[in-house]
This record gives sequence, C-alpha cells and structure tokens, in this order.
Amino acid sequence: MKQIFLVLKREYLTRVKKKSFLLATILTPLIMPAIILTIVYFATQEKESRSDKILVLDKSGIFIDSFDVTSFDFEYINGDLEAAKDDLLEKGAFGLLYIPTIDMSDASVINFSGFELYSKTNPSVNSIERIEKIIRNKLEDVKLENSGLDAQVIENLKVRVDLDSFNISDTGEAKESNSKLSFAIGYGTGFLIYMFIFIYGSQIMQSVLDEKTSRIVEVIVSSVKPFQLMMGKVLGVGAVGFTQLLIWFVLIGGLSTVGLSIMAGNSDAIMEAASQQVPGEAIEQLTDQQKTVAEIQGMIASVPVVKILLCFLFFFLGAYFLYGAMYAAIGSAVDSIQDAQQFMFPIIIPIIAAIMAMFFVLDDPNGGLAVTLSLIPFTSPIIMMARIPFGVPDWQLALSMVLLVAGFMGTIWMAGRVYRVGILMYGVKVNWKTIAKWFTMKV
Amino acid sequence: MNILEANNVTKKYAAHMALDNVSIAIPKQSIFGLLGPNGAGKTTLIRIINQIIMCDEGDIAIGGEKLHPKHIRSIGYLPEERGLYKKMKVGEQLMYLAQLKGLSTPEARKRIKHWLDKLGLTEWAGKKVEDLSKGMAQKIQFIATVIHEPEILILDEPFSGFDPVNANLIKDEIFELREKGATVIFSTHRMESVEQLCDDIALINKSQKILDGTKKEIKNSYKSDKYVVGYKGSLSGLSTNLNVLNTQELEDGYMESTVQAGKGDSPNNVLKELINLIEVHSFVEVVPSINDIFIDIVEGGQS
Repeated sequence: MKQIFLVLKREYLTRVKKKSFLLATILTPLIMPAIILTIVYFATQEKESRSDKILVLDKSGIFIDSFDVTSFDFEYINGDLEAAKDDLLEKGAFGLLYIPTIDMSDASVINFSGFELYSKTNPSVNSIERIEKIIRNKLEDVKLENSGLDAQVIENLKVRVDLDSFNISDTGEAKESNSKLSFAIGYGTGFLIYMFIFIYGSQIMQSVLDEKTSRIVEVIVSSVKPFQLMMGKVLGVGAVGFTQLLIWFVLIGGLSTVGLSIMAGNSDAIMEAASQQVPGEAIEQLTDQQKTVAEIQGMIASVPVVKILLCFLFFFLGAYFLYGAMYAAIGSAVDSIQDAQQFMFPIIIPIIAAIMAMFFVLDDPNGGLAVTLSLIPFTSPIIMMARIPFGVPDWQLALSMVLLVAGFMGTIWMAGRVYRVGILMYGVKVNWKTIAKWFTMKV
Repeated sequence: MNILEANNVTKKYAAHMALDNVSIAIPKQSIFGLLGPNGAGKTTLIRIINQIIMCDEGDIAIGGEKLHPKHIRSIGYLPEERGLYKKMKVGEQLMYLAQLKGLSTPEARKRIKHWLDKLGLTEWAGKKVEDLSKGMAQKIQFIATVIHEPEILILDEPFSGFDPVNANLIKDEIFELREKGATVIFSTHRMESVEQLCDDIALINKSQKILDGTKKEIKNSYKSDKYVVGYKGSLSGLSTNLNVLNTQELEDGYMESTVQAGKGDSPNNVLKELINLIEVHSFVEVVPSINDIFIDIVEGGQS
C-alpha cells in the first residue's frame, strides 16, 4: 500500500507542479465561456452587418413594399426573368427572387408555388426560411383582408399556454421539474466524463510509455510490484484530473454566484423567493431582473444537486478506472505512441458509441436503449449521467454501479496481467495475439 | 557462508527454456561473476532473484531464508536496460527511488547528500536529469542502486554504458562497498571485463549452468601444462616428455616457442631441462582466461 502511495504521490506532484497544469486549470473555465461568447458575438454581428443584395422580380405586384427587411438588401427590378438573370450576374448581387403572378381571388387555395430563388452560391437554410416567411405573411395578410374578418378578432383567437411540470417524490412532495436543465446537466456531466477518459487516459498511457522508453521501469519494478506501479499511476493521474475538476467546480460555482448576485442586487429577497417550492406571490414583489435570478435559483433547487454530484463522482471514477487501466496496458505493450494507435481503436469505439447514443438517451431517458446502455459498464458512466437528472429508478442505479465496479475490477485485473509482461518487453512486434499470450503467461 | 543460494531453478517461456535446473551458491562478501553469452539466461535469473518474475521450479534463499518480498530491500539492482526520469530533478528522483526501497525521508535525505558530496554532484541536486551529462547521469544511476545500502548488489553489464573514468570510479566504490560487507554479483557476457574482479564464477550457456567455483580452482583445473619460452639457441634434442607446439622467430636471433609439458610436470623440472639446451630469457606458464575456458567447454560439448 505504501508503495502504491509513493508512486501515486510522484505521478500527482510531477503533474500538478507543472505550469501547464496551472494554466489549463485556471484558464479553461475562463476561456471556454469567452470562446463561446466570442463566437456568438461574431455570428450575430455578421448577420446584422451583412447585406447580401437580392433582386426581386415581382410579377404579382402584391409584394410592393414587403421586402424591406434589414437582413437583406432587396432591390425591386422589372422586366422578364431572362433579363433579370443577366442582371443578377452583372450587378454582382447575391440572388434573384422571382415571384410569379398570383391569383388571390379563390379563398380556398392554400398552396402557392412558382416562387424561385436564383443565386450563385447555395443560400443558407436560414435565408430561405426568412424569405418564405415574408412571402407567407404577406399572402396571409392579403387573404385576411379579402375575407373581411377583423384582424383583432384573429389576434384574440391566439392563446399562449405555459405547462409547469412537477415531479412527485415517494413522500408525495411535489417539486418543479425542468427538462431543459435536466438536459443541460445530463449532457454536461456525460460530456465531462467522456472528455476526462480521453485526456487522462492518454496521460496514463504516455506515462507508462515514458517509463518504458526511458528504461527506468526495470529499476522501479525491482522495488515495486508491477501491479502496484500500475495502480499508483492510474490513481495518481486520476487524482490530478480530480483536482482539476474540483478547481473548476469551485471557480465556476464562485463566478456564477458572484454573477447572479450582481445581477440581483438584493440577494435576501431572491433567497426568499427561491426557497418557495412553487414560485408564487413572493416573486411578484421582485424586479424583473431579480425574477430571472430567482427563476435560475429555483431551477437549480429543483434538481437533486447532491445526488447528481455524488453519482457524478462515482461514475467519473468508475469510468476512469475502467478505461485508465486499459490505457495503461496499451502503454506497456508498445514501444512508441504510433504503435499504440491500432490498440486504441477497440477502446475508443464504446466511448464514441456512448457519446453518440447520449442524444437519443436525453430524448427518451427511460427507453430501452437508455436503460441497456446505462447498465453496460463500458457505456454506463456517460449514459447514466445523462439519465440521472431526469430521475432513474433506484434499482437501476444500484445495478449499474455494481456492474461498473465489477467492470473496472475486471479491466484492472486484465490490464495488470498484460502490463507486468509488457513493460519488460522491448522491440517485440506486438499484435493482439502477443497480448493474449502475455495475458495467459506465467511470470 | 552463502548469502544467496539458488537450487534447481527452472523457468520456461512458452516454447523457450530460459533457465534449466540452474543451481548457484554465492558466498557472503564475495564478488561473484555470472558469466555467459547473450541470451544464456543471466537476466532471467537476476529478475527471479529480484522477484520481478517467478521461477517455475526450484527455490532461492537469501541469507538462509526463502525468497520473500522483504528481501527486495536488501538488494540493489542495476539493470542492463537502465535509465532515469528525464524531467525529474536529481534530488527528487533519488528521494523517490530511496523511498521505494523503504528508506525514511530524513534518512534518505542524509544519504543522498552524502553520496552527491562523495561523487562531486552536490550542485546538480536541483537540476533535471536531462540537463546532466551522460557520465553524471550514470553516477546518479549508481547512487540510486546503492543508496539503501543493500547486502547484495546485482550489476547487469555494469560497465557497458560507463566511460572508462566512471567505470574505474564505480569499481572503486564497489570494492569499498564490499569491504563494508556487501556481496557483489556481476553479470556480463564480456568475460574479460570482470575476470580480474571476481572471486567466484558461474558460467551459464543456453539456459544451463556449465561450470562454477572459485576463479582460482577453475583456472587451475583448466591449466594445460603449457609454457611460453623466450630464448636463444635451438630446441632440437628436447626429450620426448616435452613437445614444441609452435615456434616463432623474434628479432636479434631471439625465439619464442610454446612448449607442452607432460601432465603433472612441475615448472621447475621443465625449466631445468630447457636451461640445459638453451639460453632462457623468459618463461611463462600459459594460464587460460575464463573466456578461453568457456570456449573450450562450449566447443568441447558440441564435438
């Protein structure tokens, strides 16, 4: 045990003391939102500033002043279609919208066609939708006018409905549920696990490989059992990931709390509002901004935070052990990173499958696919985390956990058998057959 | 008294026999040569002693006790394939390796300082290994091997990576450690390099031990009663119990011949006979090197 701890300590300290670790740990929570905000900013900026010219050839005469939207620079032209096409090329405009003559006399006609958009490059789906919307709105207006109905009556016919959903616990206590937040938490935690398997898994592999190529490994295994060395490594690198995660949580938690209280100004009133199970009268007394903050806090209060955190911790570690051991085995088997590629494939497949299946799971968190994948140890950490915010029966959660523990004990055991032989093998041409031989070999 | 005894150790890898019924006994405080060509099974035996791998049959005893995990601490092992963590600082690295061998932090700190002082590396303690010259890294490697004051020091091809200056330095350190009570095991395929260092020897070839004993005994038993004589004159008229094997002419009329004496003839008798015939300038008994003996046995075994 002491030996494992010594290895763990070395692996941990050499990594944590690196400047790159400090930078990545502190900057990631700051940079990630910054990147997202920048992208969003530029995307909206571009949309507003860009004024692609679109020529409008309106044969119907209905759309005289409909196309005055700022997103495009519309220019009305006359003449026939062929001449207009030449115009399009000559004027260097983005596109040409052709509107045929339209007969609006029959009120029962609801399908209109013959609208054509010519352009040199493919227009975006968004642009097409926007132009369709302009045409549709105008045609609806014309039909409304022709029918002689009062526009106000039509407007009054439209109603808006908000459906608040609640989860009832076994004790009968009703809690507001929030699918969007559940989705975000499920996706976020699942994705974090996915990311950590890749980042820290390959760190373990690199570490094993470094010891092998620097030839220190034989010195080390003359003092430490190979299995202890492997476990120390897996635990040490895992502890680094854990530290990073912890710092992120504290940083993000701290930043968002500060952010929310600045937005709110008066935090006492919000706490009072947020503490209400069903947001009601208390909220009425708050300002709009405070209301938003209260809603966010209410949402957060609606999910089982402690349960999610504990489960995340468990599945995070489980996934890490399960895959980390396999990465260690691969690192021990090869002489260089290039050789490792062929063995990585079977490891990556279930992780990728899990992250792809996650979207279907988030859509139907209690479906057959979701339940199955959340029980199989190779996919369960990612899939179960996606399901938990939506509520998972206790027996499934327990079964999944037991299977995951069995799963990672199995992979650690198997990896250990390959590792103990692999680290002392140099210049051997390794394939799956060799690895199988090492696995069964007596040392 | 033997510090280490291996009895009928056998190790098999799939179709390949790595060690076949090998027994050796290593006297305490001796310098023991484990000799044999590459692939003979030396490293396998050493790994078994170090408990990196286990033997299929047979057993090993250290100080009369069956091999036990605690013995790891009484062995210092310098493997043939050796290296250090390149990105780690010298002091931290030695501390780590010393702690793995069971030293407490303060004790390890004291010994690291002692050794770095002794080998003139004190100011390098805070440097990373990748900043060190190869010779310095080799010294660090040696310190890491002996820092826990092992009873048994196992050095696999010890001088292959060392430059001559370091090799001599290390030799001196090894003798000093032996004086303090350590037993040293050299493993090498370059037999001439350790011949003069060893007291006892075991020869291993093709996974089997083919010879062992003290160096003196072995050499004596392989003496072939040959003498090289430098002289002036002619050897014709030599009695029948002396055979001239070859003769070559040196400058100024000097000659050199190899003479085969009969079994049990004492050098004095041979010399007496020669003096009657020629003017003897030199007279040397041909003593076979371990390498010669090894080749002799291996080839003898084949024919």
